Amino acid sequence: MNEDRLVFTWRAMLLAFLLPLVLLWAMDLTMGGSLGAGKDSLPRFGNAILTSYTLGSLVLLGNLFFYADSRQRPFAPLFGMLSAAIMGVVVTVLLLNQGSLLMEDNGSIRAQIFYNIVHMLVSAGAILLALALSLGFTFSTITAQKPRRTVFEEE
Amino acid sequence: MNPMAQAALWFWLPAALVPLGVWISLSSKTSSGTNFGRFLAGVGMLGIVTSPWTVPESPSSAAGHLLGFILGPAALLLSGVYLIAFSGHVPVGRLPRSDRRLGVMAFVIGFVWFIGMHWWNLTPALEGQVNRYWLVFWPTFLLLLTCLLSGAALSLRVIGDRRATESNVMWFASGFVLLLILLAMMVDGRHVDADTFRYHLWLAGADLLGTAVGLSISILVFGLIIFLHERSLPEPKSIAPPTDKEFAHVASIVAANLGGGENE
Repeated sequence: MNEDRLVFTWRAMLLAFLLPLVLLWAMDLTMGGSLGAGKDSLPRFGNAILTSYTLGSLVLLGNLFFYADSRQRPFAPLFGMLSAAIMGVVVTVLLLNQGSLLMEDNGSIRAQIFYNIVHMLVSAGAILLALALSLGFTFSTITAQKPRRTVFEEE
Repeated sequence: MNPMAQAALWFWLPAALVPLGVWISLSSKTSSGTNFGRFLAGVGMLGIVTSPWTVPESPSSAAGHLLGFILGPAALLLSGVYLIAFSGHVPVGRLPRSDRRLGVMAFVIGFVWFIGMHWWNLTPALEGQVNRYWLVFWPTFLLLLTCLLSGAALSLRVIGDRRATESNVMWFASGFVLLLILLAMMVDGRHVDADTFRYHLWLAGADLLGTAVGLSISILVFGLIIFLHERSLPEPKSIAPPTDKEFAHVASIVAANLGGGENE
């Protein structure tokens, strides 16, 4: 597969991935649009970025222990990743302190942070289930077909 | 004990035990360590599911309540897909043909159960209110599922060789989930009306996009840290070239292992 074809394939796959979203958006607009979700989507988007960054950094910090096993246990990358995770927490607290910028229906910054974490765990559950089902479904459709016979031409 | 300490003990500690158990289970080199990790993760899951009873006043326990509700249909869906996939034409580990019917049945029951949780009386509710995390889970799950199935359908067609039939099945599945979303956007359920669903659907979209961006940034930072560390390492010390004696020793070993005698 040449490079142009590969780029086209990736673009087509991305478009196919986004196609249902575009269809839903179009349908929603024809039904008048979801009032309210627009202004509430921005805090949700911001909170999702910060929470997934911080939790992702903590998971990758755990992953660094495996890296350290093969590199005579260096301290610097562990410290670097821990700093990156702490930076995520600090930025979250700072932005939550800026009034209603990222605050949702929660009474305090602490409540919002706990809500963000639980929200991310629930989202992660939904994402994992959707991923497992789509992979399993793809595999099921492939194995449901009759086995193929490849006929080799005589040399 | 104050409410914060109770929540920490009965919800956050079990929640922390799950990833810790998974980590121990994956990284352990002995079977006892793997089993211990699984045990910890299981205890953590049990602690989260029972949190609505152990710390009912904590808002986080709603997630435990939701987990208890979705465990059944999710297990049915996953086991159903597993049975269908491995009772098909797989070269190794093929399950009996009868498992296929069982798998289809489990899958259908699981899906109908989930649909009943949206449109019928099975909606997870706490103290008369719909569980707030159900309105996070269900739209996120449906939205991502239809997108993934659509992406997989095109991947099968473009990358796969003679996979048009399989691709069509995947398009159909993606279209079916899309239809479900459209129905949920227009038809009220017993506890969740169409407007509420549409509102949370776009929040789920923002959530998924934000999660993808945040995770990508953390992976980039991880790669950057590894790159900077590897670049700062000194060059490995050069060693002296082999001596004549060492060359002779190597030559004798090579000679002893080369060529074929009359015995071969």
